[in-house]
Amino acid sequence: MHAGYGKLAVLHGVSLNVGAGELVAVLGPNGAGKSTLLRAISGFDATVTAGRVRFADADLAGRKPEAIARTGLQHVPEGRQLFTELSVDDNLRLGAYGRPRADVERAAAALYERFPALAARKTATAFSLSGGEQQMLAIARALMASPKLLMLDEPSTGLAPQIVADIFRIVGELRAAGTAVLLVEQNAYLTLEHADRAYVLENGAIALEGRAADLARDPRVQAIYLGGATDE
Amino acid sequence: MNRDLRDDGRILPFAALLVVAFGILARGDANLMQAGTFAAIDAVAAIGLGVLLGNVAQISLGQAGFFGVGAYALAYLTTAVTWPASVPLWLQFVAGTAAGTLLAALFGLVLGLIALRFKGHYLAMATLAFGLIAAGVFRATAALGGASGIANIPYAQFGALSISGVPAFWYAWGMAAVVASLTFNLLRGRTGRAFEAIRNDELAAETIGVPTRRFKIVAFTYAGALAGFAGSFYGSYLGLIEPGGVSVNFSIDLLLMVVLGGAGRISGAILGATIVGLTNIYGHNLENWRPVVYGILVIAIVIAFPRGLIGIVPRRRDAKAAPAPDSPGPAAASPALARLRVDLPADAEWLVVEHAVKRFGGLVAVNDVGFALERGKLTSLIGPNGAGKTTLFNAICGIGRVTSGRVLVAGRDVTAWQPHRIAALGVGRSFQNARLFGEMTVLENVVAGAFRAESASFASDLLALPASRRSGALAGDLARDALARLGLEALSGARARDLAFGDRRRVELARAIAARPGLLLVDEPAAGLNASERARLRDDLLRLRDDGITLLLIEHDMRLVMDVSDRVMVLKLGSLIADGAPARVRDDPQVIAAYLGTGV
Amino acid sequence: MLQLVVAGLTVGSGYALVALGIHIILRATRTINFAQGEFVILGGLLAYGAVTWLHANVWTGLALATLLGFGIGLAYERFVLRPAARAGELAVTIASVGTVYVLLYGHALIWGSLPQPLPYFSGGAQDVKWRAFGAEIAAQQAWVLGLLLLALAVLYLFFERTTYGKAVRAASNNPLGARLIGIDVDRARAVSVGIAIALAAFGGTLIGPITLVGGAAGIGISIKGFVGAILGGLDSPVGCTLGGLVVGVVEKLLEGQAGYGISDPVVYSLLLVMLIVRPQGLFGSRRAVRD
Repeated sequence: MHAGYGKLAVLHGVSLNVGAGELVAVLGPNGAGKSTLLRAISGFDATVTAGRVRFADADLAGRKPEAIARTGLQHVPEGRQLFTELSVDDNLRLGAYGRPRADVERAAAALYERFPALAARKTATAFSLSGGEQQMLAIARALMASPKLLMLDEPSTGLAPQIVADIFRIVGELRAAGTAVLLVEQNAYLTLEHADRAYVLENGAIALEGRAADLARDPRVQAIYLGGATDE
Repeated sequence: MNRDLRDDGRILPFAALLVVAFGILARGDANLMQAGTFAAIDAVAAIGLGVLLGNVAQISLGQAGFFGVGAYALAYLTTAVTWPASVPLWLQFVAGTAAGTLLAALFGLVLGLIALRFKGHYLAMATLAFGLIAAGVFRATAALGGASGIANIPYAQFGALSISGVPAFWYAWGMAAVVASLTFNLLRGRTGRAFEAIRNDELAAETIGVPTRRFKIVAFTYAGALAGFAGSFYGSYLGLIEPGGVSVNFSIDLLLMVVLGGAGRISGAILGATIVGLTNIYGHNLENWRPVVYGILVIAIVIAFPRGLIGIVPRRRDAKAAPAPDSPGPAAASPALARLRVDLPADAEWLVVEHAVKRFGGLVAVNDVGFALERGKLTSLIGPNGAGKTTLFNAICGIGRVTSGRVLVAGRDVTAWQPHRIAALGVGRSFQNARLFGEMTVLENVVAGAFRAESASFASDLLALPASRRSGALAGDLARDALARLGLEALSGARARDLAFGDRRRVELARAIAARPGLLLVDEPAAGLNASERARLRDDLLRLRDDGITLLLIEHDMRLVMDVSDRVMVLKLGSLIADGAPARVRDDPQVIAAYLGTGV
Repeated sequence: MLQLVVAGLTVGSGYALVALGIHIILRATRTINFAQGEFVILGGLLAYGAVTWLHANVWTGLALATLLGFGIGLAYERFVLRPAARAGELAVTIASVGTVYVLLYGHALIWGSLPQPLPYFSGGAQDVKWRAFGAEIAAQQAWVLGLLLLALAVLYLFFERTTYGKAVRAASNNPLGARLIGIDVDRARAVSVGIAIALAAFGGTLIGPITLVGGAAGIGISIKGFVGAILGGLDSPVGCTLGGLVVGVVEKLLEGQAGYGISDPVVYSLLLVMLIVRPQGLFGSRRAVRD
C-alpha cells in the first residue's frame, strides 16, 4: 500500500503480512515510516492513498479508526495514550468498552493475573505510574478487547532494560496464545531475537525482509541503519 | 505587502469617494448625518481592534474601556477643569483629545503587558476583566460623575465653527481617513511584517528575529490609542458620557463590527462599523432582530467566511508581491548589509555548548553535553529516537532553556536569551515540520526571514518616512537573493500553504538564510523527501557551507549525514557517545549498539 | 450578616452551576463558552414558557427546561462549537461571543425584554421560613441549595460511577486514546456540552423565582461564573463549584456593607488579580494553564 499524511507521501508500495500466532517485527531507522505504517493500518492520522489493507477478510482502508478498533485490531501507539486522569482500573476496563459487563469482569480478572504490578496499583491514577507501568497498562488495555492482532509502536522507548525484557516476555506469551503481533521497534537486534519474521523499512519502502534469525546475521541491516553502502 | 493590504489600497480611496458622496447627498437629513458620524467614530476604534485581532491574532473584549478613557478624559478636561481665559476652546479640545488618546494608549500598554502572560481563552478573559474594571471605575468615581457620567460637554470650536451636525460628520470621517492612512502605512512597513509573522506562527517569528512580545504590546497600545482617540471625539460630539455607553456591550459591538466587516482589513473595519452604525438608526422597529442577525452572521463568518463581508470584493490576481526596490544597485554594496555580517572575534566560535543539562521533572533529556562547532564546517547531530537532539537544538536557539550549563553563540552567553535576540546575533533555524507562514507567499515568507536586517522604527512606519521604505527594500533585496541562491525564484508568488512538501522545506531554508546568518541550525531537513529531493538538499547544504555558513544538522538519513558532514556527533539518551569524522563514527561499536541494540 | 451569606449562597448557586458548566465544556472542547450565562437565562425562560403557555406547574417547567437545555446543548456543539473549532481557537471564542448576542436579543424577541416572574417551587414561599443560627432561610433558597446538591450528586454519580460517564471523561482527557478504544469522541463531546447546557438551564430555573427570568443579566452571570471558575480552578469541578458559591457570598456581603456600586468592580478586580497571581485557581493544577 501507499500511505501518507495529506500531501506528504510516506509509504511507497509496502507489502507485508502477519499470520495468527506470529510475531512480526518492523524495523528501520528513524523517519523510515514505521509509525506511519501502523497508523495507516489502524486509521489514525495517516491515510492509505493506494493499495489494500485486509484484516481477517475485511478491507480496512478508509474506515473510521473506532470501527477498525472494533474489528479485533488493537494499536498501542507511541506515547501510550492513556487516560491520565482516570484510575488504572478505569483505564483497563475502558479497553473493553462496549462489551457486556460479564465479559469485562472476566477479561479484567485475567489481565490482573497476568500483570500483577497493575493489580497492585488498581486505584492509582494513570498519571502517577512509572514509565514501565504505563506501558504495561497500555498493553493490558489493548488486550482487554481480546484482539486478534496487536500492533505495538516502540514499546521499549525510554524504559529500563529490565522492563524491556518483561515486555518482550509478555509479547512472547501472547504469541504463544495465538495472538498475532506486529511490533515496531528501534532496538533491532533484541527484537530480532524474539521475532519470527521481520521487515526492514528504509525511506518508506521495504528494503529487507525474511526470517528474523536470518536478518540478525545480515550485515545489510546495519548498513541501512548507519548509512553504509548497500544496493539502492 | 500582502494581498489584503494591496486590495485595501484600491478599496479605501473608493470608499473615501463613497463617504464624500454620502456626505453631500445626505447633508439635509440630520438622522443620516448622525448615523454617519457615529459610524466614523466606531470605525476608528474598529480599525484599532482590527489590527489587534486580525493582524496579530490577539483578542480584546475590553476596548470599550479605552474608548471610555478617551471620552472621560476629554469630558473632564473640558468641563471640570477651569482653564485660564486666554486658552481658546479649540486648544482645550485638542488638549482633551491628546490627553484622552495618550492615556488610553498608556492603559493599552498596561493591558498588553498583562496580556503577554496569557493565551487563548485566558487572554480573552483578562481583556474582559480589564474592560469591566474600567466601566466599574467610571461608575464608582464621583469626580467622573458616578453613574450619571459627565454632561454638557462643549462642542469643539474652531473659531466660529462648531463641530456638530454636518461639520462633525466631515471631521469624524477626516479623522477616520487619517487613522486609516496611518494604519495602512504601519501595516505596509516593518511593523506590519512583524505582525503578520506573529499571527501566522509566533514561534517561527521569534526564530527569525521578531521580538514578539514587544510587537504584541505595540499592537495593544495602538488599539488602545485608537479607541481613546475615537472616544474623545465621541464625548465632544454627543455632549455627554455615561458609564452605560462604554460597557462590555460596546466592546462586544466592536468585536462584532470587526469580524463582520473582516478582521485584519482596514476596509473591513470601516465596513463593519458603517453597517452597524447605519442600521442602528434605521433599524428601530427591528430593535432586537439586528443583534440576533449580527450574532448569527458572526458565527457564520468565523465558520465559513473568515474574510468577512469585505471578502465579497473580488481580489486582483497579482503575482507581484514584493515591496518595490528603492534603488537598482546590488544589495551587497549597501552599508546596512555590511552590518549584517556579525564580526566573529578571532578567538570565538559560532557555537559553544558547555556542560548542558536539561531536565524535565525526573527525566534527564540532555546529560552534560559539551562541544564547540568548527567555523565554516557542517556538523551533524545524530542519535536514536528520544536522545535529546531536538531538546538541545531548542535550547541553543532560545526555545526552552537548559537546566544548567552554558550556551555561547558568537562568543556571547545566550543561555537565558529570548529566541529573537539569539537570532539577531546571526543565527538561522529551520524546523522539523517546516513552519512556514502559511498565508503569506513564498517571497513574503523569505522577506520576513530578513527581518533582523530591517531597522525602521514604529514612527517611521507610521508616517511612511523614507527610512521605512528603505528598510522594506533592503529586506526585499535580501529575500530575492536568498531565493536565487536556492533556485526558488519561480515559486516567489505561490502561497506557502499550497506548496508541495519538498518545496516547503526549501522555502524554509531560504527564509532561514535571508538575513545572512553565520550559524544555521537545520532540523531533520530530509524527512519526507524523495530521492531526487534529497540529492538537491545535499547540494544545497554543501553550497551553503561553501558560502561560509557554519551548519549544525539534526538528521536521521544516514546516507545524507555521511555524505555531507565534516563531523558527526552522536547523542544517546542525552549523552554524547561519539564525536568525529563520519566514517569513524559509523564503525564505532558504541554507535552501532545505540542504533541497533545489543543482541547476539 | 449570616442573612447575607445565605443570600450569597443562593445566588452563588447560580454562579456555581455556570462555573461547573464552563468547566465541563472546557474539558470537552478545550474552550471557554462565553455564552454560558445566556443559557442560564434561556433555561429560566423555557421554564417560564412552560408555565405560562403550557400551564404546567413549575416542577414540570424545571424538568422541561433541563431536558430542552440538553438538546440545545447538543445542537450548540454540533452546529456552532464544532465547526468553529476547525477554524481555530480564536474562532470558537468569537463564535461563543456571537452566540451571546443571538441569545441575549433572541430571547427578548420571544419573551420581551422585561424580566418575568417564575412561580416559587413550593407556592407562596414568602411565608415559609426557617430560622437557623439567627438567619432566616426562605423556602426557595432552601430549594436552590438542596437542588444544587442534588444536581452535583447526579453529576458525580454519572461521571465517576457509570461506564459511559467515564468514557465521556476519557474522551475529554485523551481523544486519541479514546478513539483507539472505540469510543465515539464526537458524540461524547456533544454529550458533555449537552450536560453543561442542561445544567445551565437547570440553574436558571432554580434561581428564576428569586431573580426573575429574562432581561439583560446574562452577561453579568456569565462573568461572575467565570470569576468563580477562575477562583476555584478551571480544571477542578469542586473548585469551580466552590468558587461560584464564594463569589455569590462575596457579592452579597459587599452589597450589604457598601451598596450596589462597589461589588461589581471588586469582583472583576478579583478576576484580574487571580489571573495574574494564580491563574490555575485555588484547586486547579499548573498543568492546565500551560495548555
